[in-house]
Amino acid sequence: MASTIASEYSNEVKNVPIEHQFNPYSDNGGTILGIAGEDFAVLAGDTRHTTDYSINSRYEPKVFDCGDNILMSANGFAADGVALVKRFRNSLKWYHFDHNDKKLSLQSAARSIQHLLYGKRFFPYYVHTMIAGLDEEGKGAIYSFDPVGSYEREQCSAGGAAAPLIMPFLDNQVNFKNQYQPDSQGTKRRDKKYLNIDEVIKLVRDAFTSATERHIHVGDGLEILIVTKEGVRTEYYDLKKD
Amino acid sequence: MNHDPFQWGRPSDDVYGAYNSKIANASPYPSMNTQQPIVTGTSVISMKYDKGVIIAADNLGAYGSLLRFTNVERLFPVGENTVVGVSGDISDMQHIEHLLDEMQIENNYDNQYADDEEALRPSNVFEYLANVMYNRRSKMNPLWNAIIVAGLENGKPFLRYVNLLGVTYSSPTLATGFGAHLAVPLLRKVVDKEEDAAKTSLETAKKTVEECMKVLYYRDARSSRKYSVAILDNDKGLVFEKGVQVEDMVWGFAKDIRGYGTQKV
Amino acid sequence: MAGLSFENYQRNQFLSSRTNGTPKATSTGTTIVGVKFNGGVVIAADTRSTQGPIVANKNCAKLHRMAPRIWCAGAGTAADTEEVTKLVGSNLELHSLYAGRAPRVVSALQMLKQHLFKYQGHVGAYLIVAGVDPTGAHLFSIHAHGSTDVGFYQSLGSGSLAAMAVLEANWKPELTKEEAMTLAADAIEAGIWNDLGSGSNVDLCVMEVGKDAAYLRNHRTPNVREPKQQSYKFARGTTGILSQRVLDVCQVEEQVVDVEA
Repeated sequence: MASTIASEYSNEVKNVPIEHQFNPYSDNGGTILGIAGEDFAVLAGDTRHTTDYSINSRYEPKVFDCGDNILMSANGFAADGVALVKRFRNSLKWYHFDHNDKKLSLQSAARSIQHLLYGKRFFPYYVHTMIAGLDEEGKGAIYSFDPVGSYEREQCSAGGAAAPLIMPFLDNQVNFKNQYQPDSQGTKRRDKKYLNIDEVIKLVRDAFTSATERHIHVGDGLEILIVTKEGVRTEYYDLKKD
Repeated sequence: MNHDPFQWGRPSDDVYGAYNSKIANASPYPSMNTQQPIVTGTSVISMKYDKGVIIAADNLGAYGSLLRFTNVERLFPVGENTVVGVSGDISDMQHIEHLLDEMQIENNYDNQYADDEEALRPSNVFEYLANVMYNRRSKMNPLWNAIIVAGLENGKPFLRYVNLLGVTYSSPTLATGFGAHLAVPLLRKVVDKEEDAAKTSLETAKKTVEECMKVLYYRDARSSRKYSVAILDNDKGLVFEKGVQVEDMVWGFAKDIRGYGTQKV
Repeated sequence: MAGLSFENYQRNQFLSSRTNGTPKATSTGTTIVGVKFNGGVVIAADTRSTQGPIVANKNCAKLHRMAPRIWCAGAGTAADTEEVTKLVGSNLELHSLYAGRAPRVVSALQMLKQHLFKYQGHVGAYLIVAGVDPTGAHLFSIHAHGSTDVGFYQSLGSGSLAAMAVLEANWKPELTKEEAMTLAADAIEAGIWNDLGSGSNVDLCVMEVGKDAAYLRNHRTPNVREPKQQSYKFARGTTGILSQRVLDVCQVEEQVVDVEA
């Protein structure tokens, strides 16, 4: 089937059929960031919701407290993100019904989400998923997933639009990558240590204000959910709106 | 093995069953039940104010660039305290209208509490529509619309958007289509944050929406002068105004513009 | 030979089939506007430039001087707006030297549109041209394909709809200079807040008949960044010096020579 294709230079005839197909995906911007501490974990996300060059909403939260001290966010195509979180919450509810309100451990939650994602391997949820909570020993933990369910436990991770901007900053400031002990002449790495909650909040805020400066899909507001053995609490900070 | 010279080399039918020739004769292209909008409705705009919500949409059904139907109602009251505004394909809109009717009948049927605690709330209506939209897109057979659900729930304004992809979001000011580009900047000048809505009167909200409909009529080529407004107010309940017109347009300067550059007369 | 050269067409096709497409130029995203008032005209622009979703420059200048009293706001491909404005600006000066008269806005308009039409839209400049000359104040817009438009108010760029909404809602005939400046800046702000391609500050240029143009760089700065939560200064030695080598690349010798002698 021959048809006309408009190229950058001219209208030329190519032997390719033009398919006008419905595209079931879109990109709704935003970015998320999770950091685990010794006895806490945070999951933060900006509250801007976009399509193309438009701001749909300045406050549309995307980090959720799912119960059982599990925080979850699925960033990317918002409709899939909402659907995934809804499905996880539902499975958690049924887990409680079926197992006499037994608490779901974070590692089990992670494996369960892997199955939700891989279940749609050939029509994927177009999202970068992250969960945060405490592990069986009470230590902070972050799990992050790719769109089809490959996952890993990490000390910190960034997802979504500005992940490439934030991730190197995290490597340097959380895991002290490329930092050496001052008088070791680059032979001994700076000692690893757990950051406390105040240090982590500062890092998260600076990461998001910086991402807001340089990425057009990030901004408006920052919502940080913090999980400790006492439970979940939320902090909100304004970001620039331009 | 089949020894019929025309069937030679094929597994014999009596042993393996008839050969499914559909596979060999399949179209080289994927099956297409996807569509494009045909008769369309343009923007729906809406905003919250201190005592409720206001939503507006014009009455045009455009067939491409032809202004085909000039008396289409795109705002639908659902129950006592919800109004659904629909833009996009008009036939899909009428299907949605049908779904909403069915939902109301189902809710009222044999339900003695249908007027009170089991009345349809805007969040119920929205959740239903959002699921319909997301499920249809997941079947690759979308309803080609962008929808705003406006209403009152527990005395508080409710406003939420869903489109053909199943993407949903809330904001104190919402608009679909062209309205998202032309009306939202003006609406946000009045109400940007949730707190601003609590400081805005119905009068201000009405004036702002009228202004937006005027700008849309100026600049959206598929818009009409006639439109409908629905207000859900805590004191007044549902106020539905039909056949409102864009007024006080400024055209006096047009006579002073000549040509497109150097022309003088 | 005049006109476009297509000698690299085949090479480019080959290259783009072997790589990730043709390289994309920096786009200014942009909101730009112009508003006429009694006795003059004002143009304004935001200051964000983008490369895809990344902000390339937070405070770039999109208002270009073509003649002392003719200024131009540019949207589209940054390099094209810059270059076409410079080119026509130079020719405008030569023309005014030759004629011994002040350059006119319509001359700039005609030269720009003929140049852009010749390049059939491949020079991606979307411009708002404004200025004052012996015939009064003028305001035009030009699209990359060469079409032009006249009006009392204009807007262009990705934020043009947001800006135009404000202009349509608040414009009235017989504006004063101050009213026009406020309206133009408000229109740009609508782009800054509502269009992701626009952001940061508002630049303004006011041109009044019989007066020098007033270029007001960063007329409004509504997007100053808040201070960071902590300092990221590293302790000296954090980056280890593994080895050190100092090279004498050249030796400089000075000698005073008496030429007279």
